[in-house]
This record gives sequence, C-alpha cells and structure tokens, in this order.
Amino acid sequence: MKAKHQRLILALAALVALVGAALLAASALRDEAAYFYAPADVRTKGVEAGKAIRLGGMVVKGSLKHAPDGVTIHFDVTDGKATVPASFKGIAPDLFREGSGVVAEGAFDRSGTFVATNLLAKHDERYMPRELEGMNYNETTHQMKAEQ
Amino acid sequence: MHRFANPARFLNIARPFTGWLFWPGLILLAAGAGCGLFVTPPDYLQGETVRILYIHVPAAWLGMAGWGGIAVAALMQLVWRHPLAAVAGRAIAVPGALFTAICLITGSIWGRPTWGTWWEWDGRMTSMLVLFFLYLGYMALANASARQAQGGVSPTTAIFGLVGAVNIPIINRSVVWWNSLHQGPSITMRGSSIDMALLWPLGLTLVGFTLLFAAIVLMRMRTILAEAKAEARMQRMARG
Amino acid sequence: MNQWAFVIGAYALTFSATFLLCLRCWRAMRRAEAAVQKLSERP
Repeated sequence: MKAKHQRLILALAALVALVGAALLAASALRDEAAYFYAPADVRTKGVEAGKAIRLGGMVVKGSLKHAPDGVTIHFDVTDGKATVPASFKGIAPDLFREGSGVVAEGAFDRSGTFVATNLLAKHDERYMPRELEGMNYNETTHQMKAEQ
Repeated sequence: MHRFANPARFLNIARPFTGWLFWPGLILLAAGAGCGLFVTPPDYLQGETVRILYIHVPAAWLGMAGWGGIAVAALMQLVWRHPLAAVAGRAIAVPGALFTAICLITGSIWGRPTWGTWWEWDGRMTSMLVLFFLYLGYMALANASARQAQGGVSPTTAIFGLVGAVNIPIINRSVVWWNSLHQGPSITMRGSSIDMALLWPLGLTLVGFTLLFAAIVLMRMRTILAEAKAEARMQRMARG
Repeated sequence: MNQWAFVIGAYALTFSATFLLCLRCWRAMRRAEAAVQKLSERP
C-alpha cells in the first residue's frame, strides 16, 4: 500500500469518526439545546410554576384578547398537539399576530397560565408578495392556491 | 490534479481569471442588489425588511462554503501533499471569516424588526457564531505557522480545518433538529417556499458574491505565492 | 420608513466591508508581485 493511500484512509477514517461523534453529541443534546418548550413538551415533561422558560408555538386564531387595561393581552399558544393559555403585559413586536409563530419568555403561574415577560415573533420559511396573502399554501408542492 | 502543482503554471491561469471572476461578479452583484432593493415587492408579513435576504443568504452560503473549501484544501494537503492546497486554505480563511461576520451582523439587523430581538442563543445563531470563532482560530494558527510552511499552513492547521468541518452539517441541520427562533429552510430539494416574485434577485446576488469571493481567493493566493517567492530569493541572495 | 433604516444599514455595511476587502487584497497583491518583479530584474 502506498503512503498516499494510507494517509487517505487515515484521514477519511478520522473524519467519519468525528462526524459520527458530533452527530451523537447533537442527538444527545436534542432536548438540552432546544431553544424553547412547545406546549406538548410542557404537558409531557411538566414544568413547575415559577420556573423561567421559553414557550414557543403558534398563536391560535381567534384567541387574542385585549384586557380592559389596554396593555395586557391574552392568547393561546398551540403546537397542534397541545394548547396553553398565555398572557403578556407590554408592547408586542409588529409581527406578533394570530396564526403566526411566537416565542414567549416567562413562567407558568399556579393556574397554568403562561405569564410572559417578553415576546418574540417567529415567522416561518415562506416569503411572498402582499397580493398573495390569504392564499393557501400547499406544504408538499410549495404551490399557492386561492382561498375558496 | 498535480497539473497545477507548479506555481508558475497556476499563476498563468490565475492571472487572467482574477479579472474574469471579479468584473462579472461585481456586475451581477450590482444588478441583484439594485433589483432586490427597488424592483421586488415587499413581503406580506415582514414588509421591506425582507430585502436583507439578498445579502444575508449569500453571506451565510459563503461563510459555510468557505470552510468547506478549507476542509477540501486540508484533505488535499494532508493526503496528496499538494503544495498549492496549503496556500488555498490560508487564502480562503480571511474572506470566509468576513462573510460569516456579515451573515451574523445582517441577521442581527434583520432580527430586530422581525423577531423583536438583536440576538438570541438559538441553535442556528450559536452554531454560526461558533463557525466565526473557528475561522479566527484557523487564522491564528495559520499566521503562526506561515513562515515554516513557505506561505501555506502547517499540518496542524490543516487538521484543525478538517476537524472544524464537523460544524457545517450542524449549522445546516440546526433549525431542523432543535426548536429554534430562526425559521426552517426555505429552499429544499422539493422546491422553494419563497415566491418567485421575491426569489429571483437572490440568484443574481448569490452568483455575484460567489464570483467576488473566488476573485478574492485568487488575489490572496497570488499574494502569498509572490511573498513566498520573494522571501526565498532574499534568503538565497543572503547565503550566496 | 423605519424598516428602510434596517435594510439600508445592512446593505451599506455589507458592501463597504466587501469593497474594503477587495481593495486591500488587490493592493497587497500588487505590492507583492511588484517586489518579486524587482528582485528578478536584479542581476
């Protein structure tokens, strides 16, 4: 075997081992490195009241209500599997709206409502002109269809 | 592959190519940025801020592709002992680090009006910041060993470049593996979820920035080769 | 119009940084290749 081939095999073996180790570490970190809890995670793992976490999901359409004081809002956060009620007092980012993504920082109170101290808007991977808003997006074909 | 091992032959090709890559790159970039700023419509949700896409995405691509280039050069240096590979690795590091920084900063500028924050420690942002630190480490190692390595990089630096490549698939998959604030991939094997009306200038800026990047790498390789040649000649004169 | 401030800031930063890097690399290359030329012209 030529020295060149030995070096090639050595380098490739080291690379495969490294990538394998990194993938293992990444999958072990899967839960730890999660940036936020989804409502389903909250239900399965249980988060005690008062513990500071981030809660992420979609704002349920029709759930957004403004309290009489004018600065507090109430809304529900869902990930399709579970839904959690949340409240926030302050100015929400421009992109915070019903049917769109949100990441809320805060903690649960004793009644199970998530009291957010900060709101971040999370948008999805779709970009389109305004004329296309209100059209249906097909996840599998990536095509837009007009709403019936 | 060793056809271009001879620096003189490489330079004969690199000299005209520097301009052939630079000028078309500049024209494409100007066209793409102009169209991205003034021709395309605003996004339905984000409004005008979506225009940052046309520089943020090419910067991210070049930051990651740059490290891919460093890893390939490192493999060629370690396995085939290709003399120009070590020079190429060192030449890529500076523009790669710059575009990684541009990606981080434009992302931050984009995050403030859309997400409501300049920075968050989510998987995508953290792994991209790690890439920037890897570039800094690579450049420090390369500069420390440049003299012994005749302008190239030492084998230790090359191994560092190879090992650091592990981070590239992590950046790519970070938004799929972990809950993150950064949205998922828009352009996948199945198509693009960016509407054509918004997508087309991205092609221009992607190709434009890539050509400029290649021109910068060629300029830096020519610089390193010339400096090594001058150094060698000086030493010979001092001895003779 | 506030959104444009973010867009213009990002573009200005990107293009000035890219331009400066191109200029620096081109100058360094010119200087290094001129030095080699000068050395080779010496007897």
